[in-house]
Amino acid sequence: MYYLGLLIEYLKNYMKTRLTYRADFWVEVISDLLFQATNFIFILVIFMHTDSLGGWNQNEVVFVYGFFMVPFGVFSCFVNMWGFSERYIVKGEMDRILTRPAHNLFQIFLENVDPPSLFGSFIGLIVMAISGSNLGLPFEWWTLPMLILLTLSAVAIYTGIYTTLTSLSFYSDAPTGILPLMYNIQTYGRYPVTIYNRAIQVLLTWIIPFAFVGIYPAALFLHRDEMRTMALLTPLVGVVFLSIGLMAWSYGVKRYKGAGS
Amino acid sequence: MSEKLATAVPSSGGSRGGSGENGRRLLLGAYFDFIRIRFLTMLAYRVNYYSGILIYTLNIGVNYFTWRAIYGDGESLGGFTGAQMTTYVAVSWMARAFYFNNLDREISTDIRDGSIAIQFIRPYNYVLVKMMQGLGEGLFRFMMLMIPGMVIATLLFPVQLPTEPSAWAGFLVMLFFSFLISSQINIITGLSAFFVENNEGMMRMKRVVVDLFSGLIVPITLFPDWLSSVLKVLPFQAITYLPGSVFTGRVQGVGIWNVLGIQVIWFLILLIPIVWLNHAARQRLFVQGG
Amino acid sequence: MNAIQVQDLRKTFKVQKNREGLKGAFADLFKRQYSEVTAVKDISFSIPEGEICGYIGENGAGKSTTIKMLTGILVPTAGSLTVGGFVPYEEREKFVQNIGVVFGQRSQLWWDIGVIESFQLLRKVYRVSEQDFKKRLDELVERLELQDLLNRPVRKLSLGQRMRCELVAALLHNPSILFLDEPTIGLDIVVKSEIREFLKDMNREHGTTILLTTHDLQDIEALCSRVIMLDDGRIIYDGGLDDLKQRWGTGREVQFQFGTATKLQQLIGWTEGMPVTWTAENELAAKVWIPLELNVSDVLGRVVGQADITDIKIIETNTDDIVRSIYQSGSAEKPEERIAALSDEKEVIHV
Repeated sequence: MYYLGLLIEYLKNYMKTRLTYRADFWVEVISDLLFQATNFIFILVIFMHTDSLGGWNQNEVVFVYGFFMVPFGVFSCFVNMWGFSERYIVKGEMDRILTRPAHNLFQIFLENVDPPSLFGSFIGLIVMAISGSNLGLPFEWWTLPMLILLTLSAVAIYTGIYTTLTSLSFYSDAPTGILPLMYNIQTYGRYPVTIYNRAIQVLLTWIIPFAFVGIYPAALFLHRDEMRTMALLTPLVGVVFLSIGLMAWSYGVKRYKGAGS
Repeated sequence: MSEKLATAVPSSGGSRGGSGENGRRLLLGAYFDFIRIRFLTMLAYRVNYYSGILIYTLNIGVNYFTWRAIYGDGESLGGFTGAQMTTYVAVSWMARAFYFNNLDREISTDIRDGSIAIQFIRPYNYVLVKMMQGLGEGLFRFMMLMIPGMVIATLLFPVQLPTEPSAWAGFLVMLFFSFLISSQINIITGLSAFFVENNEGMMRMKRVVVDLFSGLIVPITLFPDWLSSVLKVLPFQAITYLPGSVFTGRVQGVGIWNVLGIQVIWFLILLIPIVWLNHAARQRLFVQGG
Repeated sequence: MNAIQVQDLRKTFKVQKNREGLKGAFADLFKRQYSEVTAVKDISFSIPEGEICGYIGENGAGKSTTIKMLTGILVPTAGSLTVGGFVPYEEREKFVQNIGVVFGQRSQLWWDIGVIESFQLLRKVYRVSEQDFKKRLDELVERLELQDLLNRPVRKLSLGQRMRCELVAALLHNPSILFLDEPTIGLDIVVKSEIREFLKDMNREHGTTILLTTHDLQDIEALCSRVIMLDDGRIIYDGGLDDLKQRWGTGREVQFQFGTATKLQQLIGWTEGMPVTWTAENELAAKVWIPLELNVSDVLGRVVGQADITDIKIIETNTDDIVRSIYQSGSAEKPEERIAALSDEKEVIHV
């Protein structure tokens, strides 16, 4: 309850800030969408030259893409860790966080909420609806609850992975360059992982499990039975990776408190 | 990263500039120092470095398998054979390691926190210094990421590299121009922070546009005809697509000189907005007081 | 009861060494060398509730490391500490409810929105009830004259205005202990003295314990009954400001203005037998330096009767000079002690 109250308060402040820079808000929305559009163009271009990608047709791949956008938007809105190292470690704002009576990671999430990202989720839902109806997918009683559950699980996976990586900033030679590179890699979870070789499949499934934020959960709605088990595993993977992330984080904070910046 | 550190130490006395032959030599030395310092700065982040190699190799791998799936049983796509595509993917990702930098972000940070004013009154050319720092970063990635990455990629995937030295020499020259053009675009994006309140969106768009339209993600010939004909008159193809085509052997003989010509022309054209922006920025900084 | 109790507190950092040159940088890529630096060396002190204590020392003496340990940001390497009844690093979230922190060079306010919005948010963060908040805010706003600033965004405030707002932000939840790190840095004299007055009132009315670090010794003179002086990680002085002056003040200076020309020879003659030193600026102005053990009135008695004096000024050695001379000698105790303690920085190579 306390944290929910804080979230609302921070969102209010975000809105007040943004009202002073209204143009930025739209520039951000547009550049986000443009970013998604380029990936979309990639899919369209590919299917100009082939009918199937590892046994998946264009509508299916587009559907997966649509699903991928939903948790990604939610994640980017509430868990925005860009520039953590720069702002909180180098400029020392972590000290201020630590002198306030709320959980430190949560404070950082709150201070960086980014509502424009939710537009991406919205577009993703539309993409799913369009490609889903092209495919004649039925809307079952479990579709909506499952969509919510799998979205939350995927958000937990993202949060786990990025929190783990960000907590490396607490070490002296912080890998500031990893995050943008990770952004490239996560996009690979949107394509049928079966097209990759074994090593990359294992990597994207169990080590940096980006397959669980795209192809696996989406396969459930596409009635792709070969990936059903994987789809149902998503919540579990979410829990596991979120725990890893939180553990890495508290370890990092402990180290920070031991060593300073 | 430690940009402040790097620019704050234009050692070897170069910053005084001096006059005459000696002064010029000192200044030149200072510019080389910027390359060296950036190189050393990059070296200091070893986790970055190790993960960089892994991630670049992974990128090549994923793209390789994606393209293999796209090819399916087909022989050729948009004039690329499967083998050529593999090489193209590997080479363009490795080239990206060299030409990619965050000069846009660095410059707009300098502008927003006001430290550019100090940079502008130092006796060197700010844009040139940024270029040098970008080059130091590029050289670091070239030697420490690209070469080992290329070796790993050739071991793992059927990459076919040309054997004649002339192709390599040509490639290196073109790679240098890729760097120049890509950095010029970054500098233009960065300096725009002088004139728009927040150029964050522009920087993001630039990044996306360069990756897509330079042919890194999809070779330009695979785009629909109307789009690829538009892209042929834009500078982005000179960054990845054209040098990659030469290196994979798709462009040969006179064509190679054409490619180099296009790069040189874009380099020269892009100088114009940079000079203009630089001038306008100074004007704004010193006449209107920021 | 003591608000702050510190026993044998120690903090050691591991510092990465960068080897020189290209070759060194390559070597660092594979194998790092670290050296250990002890920033705070087994210090002990206690501050009773309601005291204002100044914590001073040169840059790098270990002041901010101590403050960071006291506020729960850093975990000590060894030793024990309690602040307001808590061990800061153990129950951090509960502990910080009870303290207020102002870092002079860092803002805790939102840059782009009205100051009041930041306060509202902090109210939620610290779980202050609407009623208490309103009462407290009114009181602080009135005292610091912030009425007109409340709706202005922080970026449009002057440094002095901002610092006053920072103080409000740190005090909204009525903490019993206040930590101030360089609270007056960069402010003009008027604002400085306003802030000092305010802190004194806070201390008097609410019994707030205040620990402040500063480079401005005027802050110390105006506010603190007690100073702790740190040098190279050790406490070199802990006690009253007056004691410090007495112990280190070496003498006083008296400046004279004469109505008629007075020769330096005459002046020396009048104070014959006294260990004083005269310097003449011109025929109408001279000054005399009087060591501590001698009464100023004795010296004046000799001169006043004989010379045509138009003005007298007595100048005490100021704290700046005292502190400077302590730093130069490195210890408020005897110089010998320091040699033993000189360098226990040891080099450790971690593979």
